[in-house]
Amino acid sequence: MKRTTITLLLTALALLLGCGGARAQQDRTPGIIRSALMGLEYEVRAGINIGGASPLPLPAEIRRIDSYSPTFCFSLEGDVIRWFGEKRRWGLILGLRLENKGMQAGARTKNYGMEIIGDGGERLKGNWTGMVRTKYRGTFFSIPLLAACRINPRLRLHAGPYVSFQSSGDFSGHVYDGYLRENDPTGNKVVFEGDRRATYDFSDELRSVQWGVQAGVNWKAFKHLTLSGDLTWGVTDIFKKGFRTISFDMYPIYLNIGFGYAF
Amino acid sequence: MMRLKPLTTSLLFAACAALAATSCIKEEAPNAEADIESCTLAGDVLNRDPIIENDRITLILKKGTDLTALAPEFTLTPGATILPASGSTRDFTTPQSYEVTSEDGRWKKRYRVEATTSGMTTGTFRFENARMDSNGKYQIFYETDAAGAEILTWASGNPGFALTGAGDDCTDYPTYQSGTGYRNKCLALTTRRTGSFGTMMNMPIAAGNLFLGTFDVVNALKDPLTATRFGIPFEHVPSHLRGYYQYRSGETFYELDRSASDKLKPVPGRKDRFDIYAVFFESTDDRKHLDGTNALSEENPNILAVARIAPEKAVECDAWSPFEIDFVFREGKQPDPAKLAAGKYSLAIVFTSSFCGDRFEGAPGSTLRVDEVTLEYE
Repeated sequence: MKRTTITLLLTALALLLGCGGARAQQDRTPGIIRSALMGLEYEVRAGINIGGASPLPLPAEIRRIDSYSPTFCFSLEGDVIRWFGEKRRWGLILGLRLENKGMQAGARTKNYGMEIIGDGGERLKGNWTGMVRTKYRGTFFSIPLLAACRINPRLRLHAGPYVSFQSSGDFSGHVYDGYLRENDPTGNKVVFEGDRRATYDFSDELRSVQWGVQAGVNWKAFKHLTLSGDLTWGVTDIFKKGFRTISFDMYPIYLNIGFGYAF
Repeated sequence: MMRLKPLTTSLLFAACAALAATSCIKEEAPNAEADIESCTLAGDVLNRDPIIENDRITLILKKGTDLTALAPEFTLTPGATILPASGSTRDFTTPQSYEVTSEDGRWKKRYRVEATTSGMTTGTFRFENARMDSNGKYQIFYETDAAGAEILTWASGNPGFALTGAGDDCTDYPTYQSGTGYRNKCLALTTRRTGSFGTMMNMPIAAGNLFLGTFDVVNALKDPLTATRFGIPFEHVPSHLRGYYQYRSGETFYELDRSASDKLKPVPGRKDRFDIYAVFFESTDDRKHLDGTNALSEENPNILAVARIAPEKAVECDAWSPFEIDFVFREGKQPDPAKLAAGKYSLAIVFTSSFCGDRFEGAPGSTLRVDEVTLEYE
C-alpha cells in the first residue's frame, strides 16, 4: 500500500517535470511564456549537503566529539513553482530531489548502553565507555512541498515539510579503546585496547521513510542562474521504530548549498 | 551579490546557532559503576595479592593471622559507597558480604569477600557441584568438604565465551557439567566456535578449559594468554594426579588464519588432542602466578615440577579410561621446607579439550570428559 503510493507520487512528479522539460526543449519560449502566464515556473538545481545525523540534544553519554567529516554529499533537484494572485507574491513549490546525506564522526562515550546482534543471532549487550566511530550515508528521493514568498523579483524565501524515501543506506562503524561492562554497569569488565575493536552495522535498521522540515532562500543571480541555501531538519529518527541498540533518536540535519537553472 | 551575502550569512548563522544550542556536550553524569578497585589490610598479613574479581574478593593470608577480626579497606569507583563501611572490623571465619552502590545510586553490586590462611585443603575433585554465574549463563564448578561447605572454586574461560553471545544454554559453553560421568556427574569440555563476535576478535574458537586459579576477564581480549592465571596456594609436595577421562576429537582441525573471513584454516587429516597437566611452582613477587605464556616453559625458574599427560596417551576413547601422571621435578629443584610451611608454593591443575586452544587452534566439537580426579601429595 505504502509502496504503491510512493511509486505513484514519484511517477506523477517525474511526468510533471519531464513534460515541463520536454516542452521546454522543443518549444522553450512559447512554453515557458505560457507557463509563466499561468503562474508556473520551473527550476533545476544541483547542490551539496553538509551536516550530520545527531541526537538532539546530545545525550550525557557522549563526552566528546573527536572528529567529524561531512563527506561529499550531492543533491539534484527539480522544482515546480506555482505563484498565486496578481502580485505573485506567494506561491507553492513541489520538488523532487535525489540526494545523499552522510557523515563520519568519532566520539568518546561514557556508560553508553548498547546491544549488538551478530550474524548468527549472538547478542552482545552492555555499557560501553570509550571510542565510537560512525559512518552514515543514505541515498534518498525527497519530495519537498514548500510555501514560497517573493521578497523582490530576484529573491525568494521558502519553507515547508519534505518527505524522504531512502533507496539505500549505510550506518556502520566500530568501537575501540575503551571497555565494555557486560549487560549493565555492574557486569564483567572487558578492556578493548590496541587493534581490538568491535564493528557494527545497523544499515538494515535505517527507516525507509523520513519526514522533516526545511527552510531556505533562493536568489536569482542572473536571468537563469540561481543560488540557494536550505536547511533541512529531520523530525523522524533515522532508525526504525523499536530499534533500541542506539538508545537515543538521531535526526538528520543538513545544510544544502547549490545553484540552479531557472527556465 | 551584495544582497545575498547578509542573507546567506544570517541563514548560516541561524543554522549554526540552532545546532550549537542543541548539541552542546552535557554535564557528565555521575558514575554508574560500583566496583571495588583495590583492597588492603593493615599489617603484613597478606601471603598473596588480594584476588579481586567482579563480585568476589579472595584474601590469602599468612599463617597465624587472626581471621576473627579483620578490617579490610577498599577503594571504590569514584563516588561509590560501600556497606559495611571500608575499614569495618569483621569476622572472616566465614565469607563476608559487602554491597557497593554506584555514585548515581542506580546500581548495586554485592561482593563476597573471603579470607583464608591455608592452601588447597582437598585432593579429590569429583565435579559434582556446579552453580550458575550471576547472569545465569554458564556453570562454575566448585568442590565441597564433608560438611558440604565450598572449599575450592574452579576457574574457566567461560566468562570470556559469555561475551561472544554464542551460547544459549549453559551446555553450549566450552566448560559445563555432564550427567554421564564415571561416577555420577562429571566435567565436560568441548571446543566451540565463537560466532561472529569471537571471529571479529580473531578468536574464532574456544577450547573448553578448567583450572585452579582465576580467569581475568578484564584482559581476556587484550591479552588472552595472560588472562588464564594459573595456580592457588598449596602447602604440600604433589606426587601424582590420577582420574578418568573420555575423549573424542572434532571432525576438522583448524589453525588460526587472520586473513580468512572466518579466521580459520582447516588442516586436513590432523586430529585434535586434549591436555591435562599440573604445575607445582613457587610464587614470587615478580611472578605470583603462571599464565598461558609460561606455565609449561622450560625456562620458567619458578617451576619445580610438572605432571603432564604424554601426547601418545592423550588419545580418543569412548569408554572411561584411567589416567595417572607423575610430577617430574626439574633438575636441581627441590621444595624448601621453610617456604612450604610459609605457603610460598602454588599448584595449578589444567584440563583442556584442545591442547592448542590457548592459541585458538583446535577442532570444534572435540570433547573431553573428566571425572574422579585425585591429587596425591606428601
